[in-house]
Amino acid sequence: MKKAFFLAVLFVGLFGLFTATSVHAANTIKVGIVDTYTGPATSYTQDALDGFKMAVEKINAKGGVLGKKIEYTTRDEKFKPDIGLAMAKELVMKENVDILAGTINSGTALAVSDFAKKEKMPFFVFYSKSEKIIGEKGHRYVFNMNENTEMAGRAAAVALAKKPYIKYWIAGDDYEYGHAIADAVWNNLKKTKPGVQLLGQSWWKVGEADFTPYITQILAAKPDFLIVATGGSGMVNFQKAAKATGLVQKIPFYQHTANELGTLQPQGKDAPEGVWGTSNYFFYYPETPANKAFADEFMKRYKRYPKASGLVGYMTARFIAEGYRKAGKIDNEALIKALEGLSLESPVGPLAIRACDHQLELPTYWGVTKKDPKYDFLVSGETIVIPPKDYMPTCEEVLKLRK
Amino acid sequence: MDAVGVLNQVFVGLSRTVILFIVSSGMSLILGVLRIPNVAHGSLYMIGAFIAYTLSKLFGGGDLGFWIALVGAPLGVAVISLAAERGIFQYLYEREHLMLILLTFAFSLVFGDLVKIVWGGEYKSVPVPYVFQGFVPLFGGLPFPLYNLFLLCCGPVIAVLLWLLVNKTKIGKIARAAAVDREMVGAVGINVSWVFAIVFVIGCFLAGLGGVLVAPTVSVTLGMDHTLIIEAFLIVIIGGLGNIWGALLGALIFGLTQSLGIMIWPQFGIIFPYLAVVVVLLFRPTGLLKSTW
Amino acid sequence: MVSKKGKIWWIAVLLVLCLVPLILPRFYVYLLSVILLFGLFAMSNNLPLGFGGIYQLHHAVFYGVGAYGTALVITKSDLSPWLAFLIGPLIAAALGLIMGLICIRLSKLYFGMLQISLGSLVWAFVYRWYSFTGGDDGIHGITVPDIISSYQGAYYFALIITGLSLYVLYRVLKSPYGIALQGIRDNPVRSAMIGVNVRRHQLLALIIAAFFAGTAGTLFVVVDNTVFPDMIFWTLSLEAVIMCLLGGWLTFLGPMLGAAMIVVIRTFVSTYTVYWALVLGIIFMLVIFFLPNGVLGWVEDLYKRRKNVADMKE
Repeated sequence: MKKAFFLAVLFVGLFGLFTATSVHAANTIKVGIVDTYTGPATSYTQDALDGFKMAVEKINAKGGVLGKKIEYTTRDEKFKPDIGLAMAKELVMKENVDILAGTINSGTALAVSDFAKKEKMPFFVFYSKSEKIIGEKGHRYVFNMNENTEMAGRAAAVALAKKPYIKYWIAGDDYEYGHAIADAVWNNLKKTKPGVQLLGQSWWKVGEADFTPYITQILAAKPDFLIVATGGSGMVNFQKAAKATGLVQKIPFYQHTANELGTLQPQGKDAPEGVWGTSNYFFYYPETPANKAFADEFMKRYKRYPKASGLVGYMTARFIAEGYRKAGKIDNEALIKALEGLSLESPVGPLAIRACDHQLELPTYWGVTKKDPKYDFLVSGETIVIPPKDYMPTCEEVLKLRK
Repeated sequence: MDAVGVLNQVFVGLSRTVILFIVSSGMSLILGVLRIPNVAHGSLYMIGAFIAYTLSKLFGGGDLGFWIALVGAPLGVAVISLAAERGIFQYLYEREHLMLILLTFAFSLVFGDLVKIVWGGEYKSVPVPYVFQGFVPLFGGLPFPLYNLFLLCCGPVIAVLLWLLVNKTKIGKIARAAAVDREMVGAVGINVSWVFAIVFVIGCFLAGLGGVLVAPTVSVTLGMDHTLIIEAFLIVIIGGLGNIWGALLGALIFGLTQSLGIMIWPQFGIIFPYLAVVVVLLFRPTGLLKSTW
Repeated sequence: MVSKKGKIWWIAVLLVLCLVPLILPRFYVYLLSVILLFGLFAMSNNLPLGFGGIYQLHHAVFYGVGAYGTALVITKSDLSPWLAFLIGPLIAAALGLIMGLICIRLSKLYFGMLQISLGSLVWAFVYRWYSFTGGDDGIHGITVPDIISSYQGAYYFALIITGLSLYVLYRVLKSPYGIALQGIRDNPVRSAMIGVNVRRHQLLALIIAAFFAGTAGTLFVVVDNTVFPDMIFWTLSLEAVIMCLLGGWLTFLGPMLGAAMIVVIRTFVSTYTVYWALVLGIIFMLVIFFLPNGVLGWVEDLYKRRKNVADMKE
C-alpha cells in the first residue's frame, strides 16, 4: 500500500518536473532537429548542424524572417530509431516546433517522415540517403536535402558507362543503404551499357573491420572493376584495407563519397590514391568566390572545412527562410507551396527543390582520389560535374513508386 | 572454393582473432576472477584506440607515435580503470552479480559520452607504421597485409605472457585461488582487495591494448565500444571463464567460423560464429576449457 | 493478498491514469503510453529474472518478434488487426517455447549467453531479410483500427492491456505455481527434492514472459505504428534488465518503476543536453551504491523496517 503511495508521489514529482512546457515565444520560428550526435555518424551530422547554425545566425543578424528570428533545438537519438521517433514526437508535441529536421538514420527518417505526415509538419532530411524517403514513402511534407541512393547510383552509372570495364564485382555493407547503392549503380549501368557482366557479390556486416577475407575472394575472381557499397565508417575501413592489401593497385574500385572530405580527411596523407567516387560537394571545387567565401567562413567559425552535410545544413536553413519570405506568412502549407520549385543561389551555383517530389537537385561530382600539396589530405581529381538533369530519376518514375 | 582459397581464408580470419583474443582474455580475467560482467569493456577498448590516436599525433603521427601509443594507450586505460576500481568497484564486490551489470553498464554510458566530450565526433585515424605498410603474397599470390602479420605474431606472444602471468607467478596463483574462495585467501593474510585491483587493471589493460592494435586498421570512431562487446562475452563463455587458452580457443572459433562461413554462405556468413557458440554451449555447457567458477 | 487499504490506493491510481488524457496535453498521454508498454516489457522480463532466478538476458527477442509478428500480419495479410494483436504475442510465446527448450538445460550466465546467441540468430534473419521484413529500415505507417489510432485511443488501449497483463502476472506469481517458481529461484535442489518439476516450471515462466513481451511489442506497434530491427537487438535486452535492476528486481512493480525512470529521465534530460547517457549512467551508479536492491526495493525495505519497529513497539 505504501508502495503505491510512493509510486504515485514519484510519478507526480517526475511529471511535475516535466510540465514546464517550454515557452515558445510567438515571435520565433522554431526548428526541432533530431539526429545522431554520438556514434560513428557524428562526423556528418555535426557538419549539418553547424552549416545550419551558420545560416541561421546570418539570417537572424539581418532581422530574421518576416521579423521573426529562427530558433532551433537539437536532440541526440544515438542512432536508435525508437528513441529518435520519441524525440521527434516530443519536439512537436511538447516543444511545439514549427519544422522538423535531421536524422541520418534511415529508419528514423522514415518513421519521423510518417509522423510528420500525420502532423502536417514539414520535415527536412539532412543526410539520410534512403531513396524511399521521397520515393516509395514520399509525401507532401517531407523534403530531402541531400542526394539519395538512387541518384548517387545513377550518377555513378553515367560515369562508368563511359569507361571500358566489362566484368564487375559488387561488394558492400550488408544493410539497406549498401544494397540500395549497389542496386542503383548496377541496374542503371546495365541499362546504359548492356554488355557488362556481374561476376559475383560479397556482403559483410556493417562495422566490419577486417576485409581481408573478402578482398582475397575478390582478387581471386579478377574483375575489371569493383563497386563497393559502404557507408559511414565502412568507407575509411575499406580504403585502409584496400591500401594494405594492395587491392587499390590491382583493381580499380568505386565508392559513393570515396572522394569526399569526410572519408579522406581522417586518413590524412595515408589515404589511397586512385579510388573513384561520387560526391555532392567539395569545398575546393568549383573554385568560385561564393564557394571560397562559404568554406572560409565555415573554417573561421568551426575550425574545420565543411563537408557535404555542411552545405546541406546551410542550404536547408536558407530554404526555410526564403520559403517563408516568399509565402509572405509563417504558415506551413504556404511554406510548402513556396518551396516547390524554389531555386536559391548557393556556394556551388543555383540549387532548386524539385516541385514534384521535394528532392533538392544537387550536382554530382565524379572524381578519383589524389594527393594535393596544398592540403594534409587527399582531394578529388579529374573531377567531372554531372548535372542533375543527366541523372536524376524523372518525376514520373518517382511518383509511380508512391502508389 | 579450392584448397588454396580455404587456406587463405583461414589465415586471414586469424588476424581478427588476435584482437578478439586480447580483448576477450581481459574480460575473461575480470569475469572469471572478479565475477564482474564488465559491460564497459568495449568502452575501454574504444578509449584505448582514442588515446592511441592522441599519442600518435602528439609524437608526430609516424612510426615513433605508434610505438609510444602501443605502450602508452593501454597504460592510460589501466590508470583509468584503477581509478574506477579503487574509487567505486572495490566497495561493491559483495553485490549481486546482476547488479554489477548495472554498474558496468553505467560506466559504459559514462565513458561513451566522455569520449565524445574529450575527443569530439569526427573520425580519427591512426596510420599504419611505415615498417608494416605493404603486404606479403600468400598462397596463390593473394596479398596479406604486413600489419596483419604483425598482429598474428603478437597474438601467441601475448597468450604465452598471459599464461605465464596467471599460472606461474605468485600473483596469478593468488588470483586464481581468490576466484574460487576469496574468504579463505583473505584468512591466510593476503590483501585480497589489492589482488582484485591488480587483476582488474590487467584485464582493462588488455582491452586498451586491443584498442591500440586495432586502431591502424579501422577508423577510430564513437560507437566502437559496441562492436565487439557481445563477441567478447560469448568467446569468454565458450572458452571457459578465467581461462586464457580458453579465450584464445574461443576467439579462434569465432574468427575462423566467420571467415569460413563467408565462403559457404556469403549473405548469412555472420551467423556461423553464433551457431558455433550454440553448438559449444549445448555440448559443453560450462565452456570448452576449465573455468574458475 | 493486497489489503483493503491497498486496494483503495490501486483504484485511486487507476482512476488517475484513466483521467490523464482529459487533463494533460497530447505529449504526456503519448509518454505515459510509452512508459506503460516499456514497463510491461520490463515486468515480463522480471518474471524469469527476478522471480525465477533465470538469467533472461535477451528478452528483446520476444518483444521484437511479437511486434514484427503483429506488424507483418497487419501489413501483409488481410486479417483483422485485432487478430494481429493476438498473433504477435502468440508467435513470441512460441519462440519462447522453442528457445526455452534449447536453453533450459543450462543455468545462470550460460543460459543467458546461449539465449543471446540464439537471439542474435533471430535478429540476423530479421535484419537481412529485407524483402519480407524491411531490413534495417523497418516497417512504417502501420495502420491500426481507428478507435485506437489517436493518442488517447492508443493510450487507453495500452492502459487496458497493460493493466490486464499485470493483473495476470500478479495472479501467476501468487499462485502455487508462482510460489514454487520462487522456491526454485531460492533453492533449486530442495525444490526438486520435494517433487517440483524444476525444468517445467522454468519453461512455463519463459513462455509466459515471452507472451507478455510480445504483448508489449504489439503495444509499441499501436502507439508508434512502426517496427525496427533494433527491437530485437541485445542492447534493448540489456536496457530491459537495467530497468528491472534499477527499479528493484525482487519487487513486483520495480521494473515498471525502472522503465518509468529511464524513459522520463531520458526525455527530460535530452531537452537540456545531448549527454543524456552520461546523466543516466551517473544516476545508475548512485542507485547501485546507495540502493542495492533498486529503488522500489529500497522503499520496501524501508517499509518493512518501519513495520518491524512498529511491531516491536507493541
